[in-house]
Amino acid sequence: MRRFVALFTLLMLILSIVIPAAAQDAGNRLRVGVNTPVVLDPALHTNDPETLLNRSIYDYLVEVLPDSTIGANLATEWTIGEDGLTYTFTLRDGVVFHRGGALTSADVVYTFNRLKEVGSPALNLMGSEWEVSAPDAATVVFTLSAVNADFLYGVASRQAVIVQDGATDVNILIEGDDPYLNFNGTGPFILEAYDPVAGASLVANSAYWGGAPAVEGVELVFIDDTVAQVDALLSGQLDFIFKVPIAQVDRLDGAAEVVVLQRSTSQHPVIRLRTDEGRLGEDVRVRQAFKFATDRDALNDLLLQGRGTVGNNDPIAPVFEFFFQPNANNQTYDPARACELLSEAGIGTVESTLYVPNAFEYADLAAVLQQQWAAGCINVDIQIREEGYYYDTSNPDNYFDVDLGITGWGARPSPQILLREAYVESGIATGFNESRFVDAELEALVAQGSQTADPEARREIYRQVGDIFAERGPIIIPYFAPLFGATSARVQGLEMAPFPGLTDLRGVSLSA
Amino acid sequence: MTSIDTSASSGVRRALPRPGFSLALVLRGLTGRPLPLIGTLLVVFFLVVAVLGPWIAPYDYAEMIRGAARQPPSAEHLFGTDQLGRDVFSRVVYGAREIIAIPMISTSISVVLGASLGLLLGYVGGWLDEIAARLLDSLLSIPALVLAMVMLGTLGPSPLGIVIVIVLLYTPIVARVVRSATLSLRSAGYVEAARLRGEGLGYILFRELLPGVLPALAVEAALRFSYAIFLQASLGFLGLGVQPPSPDWGRMVNEARGFYAQSPWALWFPSGAIALLVIGVNLLSDGLRRVFRREGQM
Repeated sequence: MRRFVALFTLLMLILSIVIPAAAQDAGNRLRVGVNTPVVLDPALHTNDPETLLNRSIYDYLVEVLPDSTIGANLATEWTIGEDGLTYTFTLRDGVVFHRGGALTSADVVYTFNRLKEVGSPALNLMGSEWEVSAPDAATVVFTLSAVNADFLYGVASRQAVIVQDGATDVNILIEGDDPYLNFNGTGPFILEAYDPVAGASLVANSAYWGGAPAVEGVELVFIDDTVAQVDALLSGQLDFIFKVPIAQVDRLDGAAEVVVLQRSTSQHPVIRLRTDEGRLGEDVRVRQAFKFATDRDALNDLLLQGRGTVGNNDPIAPVFEFFFQPNANNQTYDPARACELLSEAGIGTVESTLYVPNAFEYADLAAVLQQQWAAGCINVDIQIREEGYYYDTSNPDNYFDVDLGITGWGARPSPQILLREAYVESGIATGFNESRFVDAELEALVAQGSQTADPEARREIYRQVGDIFAERGPIIIPYFAPLFGATSARVQGLEMAPFPGLTDLRGVSLSA
Repeated sequence: MTSIDTSASSGVRRALPRPGFSLALVLRGLTGRPLPLIGTLLVVFFLVVAVLGPWIAPYDYAEMIRGAARQPPSAEHLFGTDQLGRDVFSRVVYGAREIIAIPMISTSISVVLGASLGLLLGYVGGWLDEIAARLLDSLLSIPALVLAMVMLGTLGPSPLGIVIVIVLLYTPIVARVVRSATLSLRSAGYVEAARLRGEGLGYILFRELLPGVLPALAVEAALRFSYAIFLQASLGFLGLGVQPPSPDWGRMVNEARGFYAQSPWALWFPSGAIALLVIGVNLLSDGLRRVFRREGQM
């Protein structure tokens, strides 16, 4: 027993020396708190921590800037043919991979063909009706078979980081002396250590084509609980966190040595009804009843403490300022009208189940909706599902199958993308048109939007799209929540991207 | 003639005393000492709250009072309000029902099933006992929370699902306890006598053996009840318990966790209630064990 006590004391002593040493040894390295990445392959990854890791190690051909425009990266310039079918990119000189070898057009061609091969989510935007070729070592040409107004955004998809020609085991950890051999990019940081549960260490690439980053390195610290991330930032153990829950923003607002970041984004929850035959929302009057039974202002006040922007009945977000209609003709809260519509539809009272993923404030959103709807002759039971389980369409009652559900849609750089993914007939086969809403008029407008580059003309198209959704659409956007992040006061030059994993760390520096 | 026979047979029984279970004795044991008394009072208190819930609670558990989100405790809202403006006191009071009813129902089922199985295995013995006991052991080796998460993940979270999970988890445990208690009684004189009299299996198990294992069973039942409360609260906390807006204490703790800096009371009261109830049930089961040990029955 005495030996045990002695050992225990010794262990505690060692830990008390080692732990603070590890935590305080921040130096000139940026410490970022993120959820644990799961899918490391850049072509297949989806979430923010995975993007941040990939974006630090690799570069894009062109990239989406924080203001949602397209900027140069490995391509210094690009031209689009007059017919809109040919995209020609000129590559930057003097770019070298971490493990040696200069960047050539063959790497770019290999990268984009690999996206097709593995069925990357980047194809949602790029489509797959294109060929890529390399007329010379510094030129890459994409040839499309149909016009796609969002093709550049596709080329800048967060999965489209440039890997070396012939790399097959991209981002696969290996046994032996050189476990990080497969993390071979041209990017600003080089992977130095990776622990799948604890974190990743990256060191600045001194040979980076844009000049070495201002920080010595980046530490990604894996913390899966967002409240714990806030605690870690407040206690000085982190420099940057993103996707801070709204409830935690008050705590950060009042704290010294912390800077709160806020961005409008197109990320939003969708309350949606299935509209196919025999389903809850088949009758337009039922869809409209849900809209009249939903008090959007109260939802914004209660759940976002008034920090969000009330949404319309379409997915066009206020962040696309020019296209958003702030004074859209939304249904005002009128539960009596909802009851009326339901009795006209011969239903009387709706009895249904509302399925909700366990993410953000969605469980609370469901609880408030249940109360609001009850006054409008709509009674729902709530079923909360784990996010990963709910979005996996091989499970029963997944987001794509249920009658009535809430779905979280992440930020997209262009409103056209959401319309093309989720509200056209082809979206049923790809698993995005969850409401099965198919409307000939809408279909034509979306197709027209894809081919219209003139903003004024596009705006008019979206106005008509908005009208269709208001009149017979199957979705309600309660609000567009802003995205919150925070940094420690020593961080300078950090601009959080609307999709925060895309935040550019190259220009970030730390004051002493 | 008949009367002589009856007196003769009852004479045999009186001659072979067997352990019993006296309610008066148990009550005296529980109320005679301070700790069991506190436990008993706590359990009775929560039972009363559960039964009278709707009359005690000033608001409905799902009612969102407009403009009253995150209010600190006051005369109007004894325990304050949560992030959606729901009265925490009313939710805790309503929640007592769920957190007592579901574990109580499922523990009762486990006790009935487990006791029957344990009595049978302990009394019959032989190869049946050998096989069944190993099966029970293998069931016991599955971690409770993991099994619960897998089952509720596939069945979908519902009160019925929780009952099934708890019954599956606790029946083998109860059976094992009862089986070992039965093993020590199977060769007792009064059991032998019943067998010689030609009594049926059911009679021997439930009339002769059951009273003897009741003390152990009572303590085990109380213990299982407290574990079941904890399990349900944990499942609620993990979002696998009953669905919102029902005022599950575990779920309330989880929901309030994100707001603990702004409205800590929404976290304190449900967690305090879970702690008090579990402590109460544990003190009670501890008291029961003492009573029986003093009487030499355990």
